[in-house]
Amino acid sequence: MDAVDVSEHYEVTAADNSPSLLSIVLDTNPRAWAALDSSLSLAQAISNILVFVNAHLAFSNTNQVAVIAAHVNRAVWLYPAPQNPSATTTTKDNSGDVQMQDVSAETNSSSASANKYPQFAQIESSVFSSIQTLMAETTVQDLDQVTTQLSGALTLALCRINKTAQSLSSSDTTISNAAPVNSTAPPPVKGRIVVISVSDSEPSQYIPTMNAVFAAAHNQVAIDTIALAGDSTFLQQACFNTNGIFLKASNPQGLLTYLMFGLIPDTEARGSLITPTHDTVDFRTACFCHGKVVDTGFVCSVCLSIFCEPPENAECLTCGTILALGNYGAKPAVIPRKKKKKKKITNGSGREETGSATGTPRP
Amino acid sequence: MLNLAGYEAERRRRLLRDTTPLQRGIIRHLVLVLDMSFAMAEKDLLPTRYRLTLSYAAAFVREYFEQNPISQLAIVGMRDGVAVRVSDMGGNPAEHLERLRDLDGQDPQGNPSLQNALEMCRGALFHAPSHGTREVLIIYGALLSSDPGDIHDTISNLIAERIRVSVVGLSAQVAICAELCSRTNVGDDSQYNVAMDETHFKDLFLAITTPPVNRTKEQSTSSLLMMGFPSRTLAPGGTTSYCACHSKPCREGYLCTRCGVKVCRLPSECPACGLTLILSTHLARSYHHLFPLRNWVEVPWAEATRSIACFSCQCPFPEPPKPNKEKGKDEAPTKAPAKGVSESGRYKCQVCGNHFCIDCDVFAHMVIHNCPGCQSRAPDAAPPIEANGNGHTNGGVMVIDG
Repeated sequence: MDAVDVSEHYEVTAADNSPSLLSIVLDTNPRAWAALDSSLSLAQAISNILVFVNAHLAFSNTNQVAVIAAHVNRAVWLYPAPQNPSATTTTKDNSGDVQMQDVSAETNSSSASANKYPQFAQIESSVFSSIQTLMAETTVQDLDQVTTQLSGALTLALCRINKTAQSLSSSDTTISNAAPVNSTAPPPVKGRIVVISVSDSEPSQYIPTMNAVFAAAHNQVAIDTIALAGDSTFLQQACFNTNGIFLKASNPQGLLTYLMFGLIPDTEARGSLITPTHDTVDFRTACFCHGKVVDTGFVCSVCLSIFCEPPENAECLTCGTILALGNYGAKPAVIPRKKKKKKKITNGSGREETGSATGTPRP
Repeated sequence: MLNLAGYEAERRRRLLRDTTPLQRGIIRHLVLVLDMSFAMAEKDLLPTRYRLTLSYAAAFVREYFEQNPISQLAIVGMRDGVAVRVSDMGGNPAEHLERLRDLDGQDPQGNPSLQNALEMCRGALFHAPSHGTREVLIIYGALLSSDPGDIHDTISNLIAERIRVSVVGLSAQVAICAELCSRTNVGDDSQYNVAMDETHFKDLFLAITTPPVNRTKEQSTSSLLMMGFPSRTLAPGGTTSYCACHSKPCREGYLCTRCGVKVCRLPSECPACGLTLILSTHLARSYHHLFPLRNWVEVPWAEATRSIACFSCQCPFPEPPKPNKEKGKDEAPTKAPAKGVSESGRYKCQVCGNHFCIDCDVFAHMVIHNCPGCQSRAPDAAPPIEANGNGHTNGGVMVIDG
């Protein structure tokens, strides 16, 4: 009986035109880009990225894009450019209406080329002007840093994707989105984040970066990475956890080729394609005590801090709890332990060996 | 407009909770007890109590392992006056979900027996290590229990073995359940709740996925655990080899860091040397329970001129009202906004001072657990202890709830 039901024919057409939001996180560490300058300069990289952005927008006119810079000391929006509170208060006229404005006046005049699609020109001018401001504000002290504010950039991108998804879905689904339950329904917008990474992962950002990664996995957002230089361990784990693509670019001058051939399909199209795979993923962690990379460590059962060796006085360095060290390596597991004679329990007053010093207080 | 304000108030109410970092039992051992007696055939929860419980139980299993990746779960059923084992203690969600799916064909029947179920839970939790929690969650539809002996003896034994019991009732309050919960939870009677409707039932059921607070020193015996963090590797030369855990041929796997045995799935225990093998990301998934993000505060109109768009999503905020209009007639119709709702639509992180919209507030606190503002600025500009607005970062000592 169910076989003649035709309702499934209608479901297919409804699903296929959900928009795709591409967020690009560009690592703008000046020192790392200077080291790469011989093969790929930052200006060349940005123009390559803009070609990639235009290609994404050209797929569908519902597609959207967002560009964020992860700089040495902060994460800033490049597109859409952040609005300045003082700038708009001046443009208000007497009736209280705000004039329509999304690009500043000087870029409007310069981009009035008839040969360019206006949206492409608008993104281009916004990215160029924002990155110039960003570089002009960078001081000499900032250059000492070898890492970037990656966690902030990922957090901003996820907030944007979440907001876009909520504005596209009806109000009753936003209630269920806010609930912490993982819904199996496809999200209204296919979000993904492409990280163009040139610098190392910052160990102190591990927890916020991982929080962002789990939020991305929860919202079915893929994090893709193209690593031009540096050792980006966290991003490898991020890509693995969110089913994203990790590309290690051995020839940085071919950035556009990597982008166009490896990262152009959105999360839906990837189901029918064979995407670049990354065979081995480094899952080792840094210990909290010495910052050493370890593959076997000791974990505090209270705060889950990782140590490379049992800490002094068996006291957790993070939460200060006195830890009982289990009998690891005391005896090989194959030799059976001698059994202790069990004490007879007399209705709650006697206690079995539970390992705690005193019993649970009874009311 | 009024509806919208009510909706915002509801979302804020769910967000605003105590954000003191509490010591929680992160490594959990929980037995889920499902009522499968005649009482579950009732249709007051649609489609039936039994069907709804099974579908929520599947959601519970998924959410439990998402929130507690290094924890263990077992499922027990109550039917025909005895306790039936549905699934054994294990850390793999797929196994439990499979067993729950098998239950779908059976109809609920017979009497439930609280005592038999609790005794089976005691047995299942007997081997749980002392640094982990021992918990029982009972979904109880019936108003009776057919027990072979004195249930008070069982309760005393549960206390002696520091097992905590929570009950979600489906019909009405039952005195023995209230006593059971209050006695096994150090006198705290908030662990016994009766569901009013389907959504309330779901809320109560899934609330248990948050790790429990350690209330006393005794509940938190701590120890140092040795764990291995293996990296994912491919078998050399495109060949396949057998994994030691399921004896199945597979190409990719994880090698035990101590003895080099290959396992196909994490988290697991090394079948050869017994070392706990996990992904470091499993540990990271639990950190937000330990260091929660601080609540954001409402921004009055007086401060609202500082921002015109949400810091994180760049969506514009409502304009501040005209000062001349506000002085006159606007005074009377302006109602005090609902508690927790910002009149200007802006919410401020007290650490970084940035303004955010309600959607980003909800998203940051419920899903991402990061403050977009604090994460987007230099670590040296912020005092390190306050980073991320968490109040306490790794340096802070957790409070044991008295």
